[in-house]
Amino acid sequence: MQSSAIFKKWELGVPVSSLAVNGNGDWGMAALGDGGARLFDAQDASAEPKALTLHDGVSLSLKPDADAHAFLSGGDDGKVVIADPVPGTATVLAEHKNKWVDHVAGAADGKHRAYSIGKKIYILDEEGQEKFTADLPSSAGGLRFSPNGKRLAASHYNGISLWWLNAKETAPETREWKGSHLDLIWTPDGKCVLTSLQENALHGWQLVDGKEMRMQGYAAKVRSMAFSARGKYLVTSGAEQIICWPFSGGGPWGKPPLTLGGMDGRLVTQVAPHPKDEMVAAGYNDGMVVLAPLDGRMEIMIAPPQSGADKAVTGLVWNRDGDALYAGTESGTVMLFTIDSVRKAVVQAG
Amino acid sequence: MSQIPVTVLTGYLGAGKTTLLNRILSEPHGKKYAVIVNEFGEIGIDGALVVGADEEVFEMNNGCICCTVRGDLIRVISGLLKRAGGFDGILIETTGLANPGPVAQTFFADEDIAAKAKIDSIVTVVDAKYLPLRLKDSKEAEEQIAFADVILLNKADLVDAGELAETEAAIRRINNFAKIIRTVKSDAPLDQVLGLGSFDLDEILKRAPDFLKTETHDHHNHHHDHDHECGSDCGHHHHDHHHDHKHGHHHSELHDSDISSLSLTSDKPLDMVKFEAWMSDLRANKGQDLLRYKGILDMQGSDRKLAVQGVHMMMDGSNLAPWKDGEKRTSRMVFIGRKLDEKALRAGFASCAA
Repeated sequence: MQSSAIFKKWELGVPVSSLAVNGNGDWGMAALGDGGARLFDAQDASAEPKALTLHDGVSLSLKPDADAHAFLSGGDDGKVVIADPVPGTATVLAEHKNKWVDHVAGAADGKHRAYSIGKKIYILDEEGQEKFTADLPSSAGGLRFSPNGKRLAASHYNGISLWWLNAKETAPETREWKGSHLDLIWTPDGKCVLTSLQENALHGWQLVDGKEMRMQGYAAKVRSMAFSARGKYLVTSGAEQIICWPFSGGGPWGKPPLTLGGMDGRLVTQVAPHPKDEMVAAGYNDGMVVLAPLDGRMEIMIAPPQSGADKAVTGLVWNRDGDALYAGTESGTVMLFTIDSVRKAVVQAG
Repeated sequence: MSQIPVTVLTGYLGAGKTTLLNRILSEPHGKKYAVIVNEFGEIGIDGALVVGADEEVFEMNNGCICCTVRGDLIRVISGLLKRAGGFDGILIETTGLANPGPVAQTFFADEDIAAKAKIDSIVTVVDAKYLPLRLKDSKEAEEQIAFADVILLNKADLVDAGELAETEAAIRRINNFAKIIRTVKSDAPLDQVLGLGSFDLDEILKRAPDFLKTETHDHHNHHHDHDHECGSDCGHHHHDHHHDHKHGHHHSELHDSDISSLSLTSDKPLDMVKFEAWMSDLRANKGQDLLRYKGILDMQGSDRKLAVQGVHMMMDGSNLAPWKDGEKRTSRMVFIGRKLDEKALRAGFASCAA
């Protein structure tokens, strides 16, 4: 029998709705379908996770907090919660009765936090005090700070809105494109914003000159997107293969995507590019997890597909050094892979 | 995978939607419901999760203008699906002015939602006294009737038998296929409101004998001898000649609508290629005007019944149970729509014969 690439596995009994890693990259957190969460010490593979309660309902958005040590979560109980891995507590930052906090975001420079409730955006300063609020034309589909923390972008129906956080002017700049924009992502240099669309496509704007980009051909909505090490590729879910759009050397215009992994009917649901190496982890709708090198070499399966419904990989994150990978599934499993456990399995498989 | 059944409650303000909702939630059924409302009002039942949503209708960016969905429902239902344990059902209470079309289409158009949730029925509550007025001044009232699988003719105690029959006839002219239940304080038996599977092809087929046997209600026919299923208080004894006459007189006043129902039947087997071509042409050119349609069809060369159903351009179909030995093979297609061209539809359906 082949040794498993999985170093450790926890059956939590409730669906993992999302996984995140904090800004420091030393803690991972899984938000669960019962409002609870598990904190994983990503520096110590042998440690057992700590349990805590985030929400009375369920977390709708889980992100690294502006405090690089912590996590930020918004829930359907109307609460914005900061989860601190040490000592393992959840503190309510804001509460809105009878509302859903759809999206939260923490700026990487530590200076701002933001969250959205339907069409309303709340921007908080360093102290957690409300700095300003803004109204969108329709509900926010995504909310993200630029990598340097100086700007905030929200996606919505028919386009995106952008704010400079330290400007006096709080009216947003907008970029338009017809359709329902879901989540968004900034390029690591902060020059472009891309959104995933309801119609299984991506749309992007180069902010300085408004030059646009369109990426199509997905089988499902792109629910997971991230940039590979040094911003070379935008790696995306939503197709049978892992779709990687080249962003180095003048941007993606006119270039075909790099496609990784097989085409055998399963769909990629989560992607996690390695933080340092030219490699991507991907999770599928049947629970399979692979590691795929970006140079086109054959991918390695590190978790096998599961039979039955509701097995999708719903969260996938690396720790800071890229020597531990966490995967969470709809069926309530969290798997930890370490570089050592993967290597051993590969060697034994010959 | 089992999909969570979703019941859509529509109806004008004051018709009795909230009363029905509260009845559903307070009956001792032991079921866990999530309720999506546009306004937090008088709903407050322990054990049910009540979520507010602002109606956000948007067009799908696929070049089809009738392909509108409710963005807020996509968002809220995606959130509900994250909850461990799930729900036995989702109830959506729309505003009085809502068009049920985008609500229904959301469950076809969004694949993530469609994989996990499915409309059970569209239930429309109407006020027996004020419906005639509403039909005169609002196209939404008509649309809500046209889309309905079940119509509660509510506050039936506040009008006399003649008025009630007239109102029912007005409903029938728009939607000849919905089940009408006469109610007082929305007191319909819940098993006639929930768990009907009106959009479920298997359920449509299970009821195939009834569906295929149902007499065609000619929508130009003003007689009151419907064979629909009435509520228990409906005795069919209130239709007299005088009333028929009066009703005919009121027709143009009550119902300026261009929405009507049409039933097409064929005893000849149909040709699959011809039928698909006809339906796809119809959906492409008239999709906006086709509100609901359903069919059970006998296809040449197939031993199985083909069931189809759709809303606007979005159609769902599959070959299901086999025809039984000795069962009469009849095809029937029903349409509820705007400006239905009866002649063209009859000719089109007839041309599908193998």
